[in-house]
Amino acid sequence: MEFLSEHFGLLRYQPEQVIVFAEGLPAFEQEREFLLVEPEATAPVIFLQSLRSPALAFITLPVRRIVPDYRLTMEPEDLAALGLPEAEPAGAAGDLLCLAIVTIAADRPPTANLLAPVVINMKNRRARQLIQSGSGYSHQHPLPLSHEEAPCW
Amino acid sequence: MLVIRRRAGDSILIGEQIEVQVIEIAAGRVKLGISAPPEVLILRKEIRLAEQQNRAAAEGVSSGLVRSLLSRLRQVKPSESTEDSKNPPALR
Repeated sequence: MEFLSEHFGLLRYQPEQVIVFAEGLPAFEQEREFLLVEPEATAPVIFLQSLRSPALAFITLPVRRIVPDYRLTMEPEDLAALGLPEAEPAGAAGDLLCLAIVTIAADRPPTANLLAPVVINMKNRRARQLIQSGSGYSHQHPLPLSHEEAPCW
Repeated sequence: MLVIRRRAGDSILIGEQIEVQVIEIAAGRVKLGISAPPEVLILRKEIRLAEQQNRAAAEGVSSGLVRSLLSRLRQVKPSESTEDSKNPPALR
């Protein structure tokens, strides 16, 4: 199958590569199908490209690239949305891809949303943006990237 | 901000039609019951933050700032980033 995206041009994909957010994402409830695009030149960035809106692509980073000891908490409805067993969810940890959406703007340093990570079950390609209430993680976690050129002396 | 102390079972009223009752207080958590007209939107604040942050993130991508972010991440020149790559990007 093919999709003409604004940022990456023509993307060829297999139906089983589609990531499905059954409820969409907050503020983007109609956006349910995405592709994970990983241009070699921009690793470790993973783009979440909408299959409905050619111009919509979220910039994401694996959460543990940002906070190495990041801990995810899942409520029963999260487990259900991802098709994970409630009894032994930890057994599926290796199947989960946990991404933080990155926000960049001209006038501010880039930030990552650690309060609401996108979690994808790579086994069945079901995904959900989880809200980590009470976790203490910020929705605007500063990325450890220098906004200015650091002086070298 | 108005600050009021309440015990479990107590309520506060907001305007004529909204009542917020403290149902239960447990370690670090409070259970609230809210009575309000159906047209009043009640949302956990984190959901609104997620909405706002998602909108801001989507705007950043269309503004063409991606390349500068990526060049910082990769410490490469902008000319080496995505758009000049001849190979189609990999999909996971």
